[in-house]
Amino acid sequence: MAEIVPTQGRYQDFHAFDLSGATRVLEWIGDKGILVAGYESLKKNEILHLILPLRLSVKENQGLFPERDFKVQHGGFSDRSVFDLKHVPDTRLLVTSGPPGCYLQVWQLAEDSDVIRAVSTIDVHESEGRLWPRVAVFPSVAPGILHGTRLSSLKVVDLDSQKTTYTSGVSDDDVLSSLQVLNTDTFAFCCSSGRLGLVDTRQKWAPLENLGPGPGSAGRRWCAEAGGRGPGPSIARLGSDGQLCLLDLRDLCQPVSSVQCPVSMPSPEPELLRVTWAPGLDNCLAISGFDGTVQVYDVTSWAGVGHQVEPLFTHRGHIFLDDSGMAPAPLVTTHTWHPCKPRTVLSAASDASLHVWDWVDPCASR
Amino acid sequence: MPEIRVTPLGAGQDVGRSCILVSIAGKNVMLDCGMHMGFSDDRRFPDFSYITRSGRLTDFLDCVIISHFHLDHCGALPYFSEMVGYDGPIYMTQPTQAICPILLEDYRKIAVDKKGEANFFTSQMIKDCMKKVVAVHLHQTVQVDDELEIKAYYAGHVLGAAMFQIKVGSESVVYTGDYNMTPDRHLGAAWIDKCRPNLLITESTYATTIRDSKRCRERDFLKKVHETVERGGKVLIPVFALGRAQELCILLETFWERMDLKAPIYFSTGLTEKANHYYKLFIPWTNQKIRKTFVQRNMFEFKHIKAFDRAFADSPGPMVIMPGYCVQGTVGHKILSGQRKLEMEGRQVLEVKMQVEYMSFSAHADAKGIMQLVGQAEPENVLLVHGEAKKMEFLKQKIEQEFRVSCYMPANGETVTLPTSPSIPVGISLGLLKREMAQGLLPDAKKPRLLHGTLIMKDSNFRLVSSEQALKELGLAEHQLRFTCRVHLHDTRKEQEMAMRVYSHLKSVLKDHCVQHLPDGSVTVESILVQAAAHSEDPGTKVLLVSWTYQDEELGSYLTSLLKKGLPQAS
Repeated sequence: MAEIVPTQGRYQDFHAFDLSGATRVLEWIGDKGILVAGYESLKKNEILHLILPLRLSVKENQGLFPERDFKVQHGGFSDRSVFDLKHVPDTRLLVTSGPPGCYLQVWQLAEDSDVIRAVSTIDVHESEGRLWPRVAVFPSVAPGILHGTRLSSLKVVDLDSQKTTYTSGVSDDDVLSSLQVLNTDTFAFCCSSGRLGLVDTRQKWAPLENLGPGPGSAGRRWCAEAGGRGPGPSIARLGSDGQLCLLDLRDLCQPVSSVQCPVSMPSPEPELLRVTWAPGLDNCLAISGFDGTVQVYDVTSWAGVGHQVEPLFTHRGHIFLDDSGMAPAPLVTTHTWHPCKPRTVLSAASDASLHVWDWVDPCASR
Repeated sequence: MPEIRVTPLGAGQDVGRSCILVSIAGKNVMLDCGMHMGFSDDRRFPDFSYITRSGRLTDFLDCVIISHFHLDHCGALPYFSEMVGYDGPIYMTQPTQAICPILLEDYRKIAVDKKGEANFFTSQMIKDCMKKVVAVHLHQTVQVDDELEIKAYYAGHVLGAAMFQIKVGSESVVYTGDYNMTPDRHLGAAWIDKCRPNLLITESTYATTIRDSKRCRERDFLKKVHETVERGGKVLIPVFALGRAQELCILLETFWERMDLKAPIYFSTGLTEKANHYYKLFIPWTNQKIRKTFVQRNMFEFKHIKAFDRAFADSPGPMVIMPGYCVQGTVGHKILSGQRKLEMEGRQVLEVKMQVEYMSFSAHADAKGIMQLVGQAEPENVLLVHGEAKKMEFLKQKIEQEFRVSCYMPANGETVTLPTSPSIPVGISLGLLKREMAQGLLPDAKKPRLLHGTLIMKDSNFRLVSSEQALKELGLAEHQLRFTCRVHLHDTRKEQEMAMRVYSHLKSVLKDHCVQHLPDGSVTVESILVQAAAHSEDPGTKVLLVSWTYQDEELGSYLTSLLKKGLPQAS
């Protein structure tokens, strides 16, 4: 008899899907659709625009919706691996990035059919080796594409005219790991070294910065995300050894807290590290990229340095449902929070699985 | 005309009635004959006028094939055979043959007796229609006539569902009907060999979906059932008796056993009972695990699931009941649509306090499954039915790119024409083969060898034989064609000397050929004869007569041009 995932009473809901190819991107388009894309190097990859099963989108009467399947609304083919994908809000345009990093590809979701077509490219003048530019979008009537592989190559390019509207103008060659647009004029960056900052594009380069955790164990890499709801710190910086550092926008120089997350081993692929803030819960974040799990933390009472913490919830579905027994255990490649349903998370793994899960808060008081 | 023509009469680009017309090498086959459940007028039937324009259906169609017992694939069959008129053979698998009439009669009863519809087929028509059925076994080649043959493959989906290969000579079409590429608890997965048909017609209802895992669906279902039963509550599972009901029965039975649950499970009498009877009968059509278990006990002989008795209706305590499909207009249907207040007889209004969950357990192939099947069969072309063209452009591209085939998506009534290059088998006589082998050169698998023979076409038989044999068979005498050419050369020597010089010259130039000087003075090159003669009027000119047979045309012409260039000076 086939095993049924043990009902530990901790999932409110759990849906598992198999994509035709593994994805490292999960980008929302509206609050009912997501975009995924393949990252294989030797064959054509698919970019898919998927509509969430109706029962996962509606707020009430979920029980009356029998359809549990994702619908492929649009699909397209990419010759290159897709490592990053961003949707340009209020348009039908997408921007993708991946090795070789000499250009970004712009795509369009067709209106009259279900095809995603390549429409133009954005040159990235310095490309080197295995590095590829991170991408973020300044949404506006004339959208700007922020991209760069290093601090020195950070640029904003106007999507329509292809004119460069901003350059960092510095020679610092720190390699970038995260780029995030915060509002019409500000963006946040994080480098692999852990150096992070907030930049106002209206001024010459003078970011509010935290220069990083200092020389730590060789090879430790970092990524970061700004966000968070609630009164607490709003920037999280995650290291490949499981260290998680929380910072406050008002004083970047002094981290609010620094903890060691219980991970079994350092991340085998630091490029896949993800830390995300829950948009619908206070002081709640999730991390992935160490193994086949996604861990959710409540950071409300975190303070000081070096404490051990325990996750509020660990999603182990990618390991439990892994049918292959022979291959190495799957690695979670990315995860994202549902924009409207507070405890619903989507996660993808290297075995092409895609999960949508809703976890039950063990603390009744929340 | 080497082409295959496909016209969907229903299920071109809409989900509903499936009915596809295929013309292959002069044969006409109808694939499925379904009813559209959403309409209650003539729109529910396929548009047969397309074919009746060609005259009597029985004369036009060589056979009808039904893939499985779902009404959207066989619901219009009695109407088609008895009311429109068709007397030819109707092919289907044994379980389909057994179960079809039950469903058709059930549907007829509801339409006529309950809804009062007119112009519907009668019970007798169903019986008369089924008399025309010829049952087929899996993987058995059935000769419809001298040229047309069909073969059924396992399709999963429901009991007895099959995919069909239709073959005429070297041209073939495979029609999938509905199929499933992942095995479930009571049925195996569809399978086909690398039959390389000219065309694969596949359903694509779920082609643009990514299905969630069966485990999650089952887990959700069992969790809800278990929670209710643990609380002492009752669970009603209205499910159509044939198909998913058996799947759920096995799922519940296995779970009850594993968790040692005691609450009773009932299915309603009537259709479900009949259905279980057929599943027990057709065990070879279920999956491998069931067949293995069947040795110890029949898997459809349930320990925890029994027939319902209306007397139990008010029994207290937990129970699970599978009452059967809720047709439109019934209380069950209203509740499933979300109504929370029901008006009963006598103006009494009841509040619906039960929890309602709507789950889908259907077994269709999704995008991944379709790609798998195309990969298994390796067709030259693919045709998609049951989907919407605008929403399948991406799938079309995906199939075309991955398999390097053409993909078509015709609308209802639209004909797709596929050119084919049929291969014509020709028998070669042993004598001819042996003669070629005796030439001495070893056959090279990579290089084609030119071989001469005579093609004899008699009736539909093609043979390649040697020319001699052909002449003998036809009673004709062989004629020889010989060409002679005169080459004038200025030379004052005597003829014999001239011949000698011609011999030396040719010998040195034509090193690969057999050049001989005969006692009578003539020179031969292979079978070509060269003779020197004096010009009748001009002693300073010599005439070389070059003569060759038709077979040596090439060498003969070459020799002539060579000699026209003149002989080299005496050394």
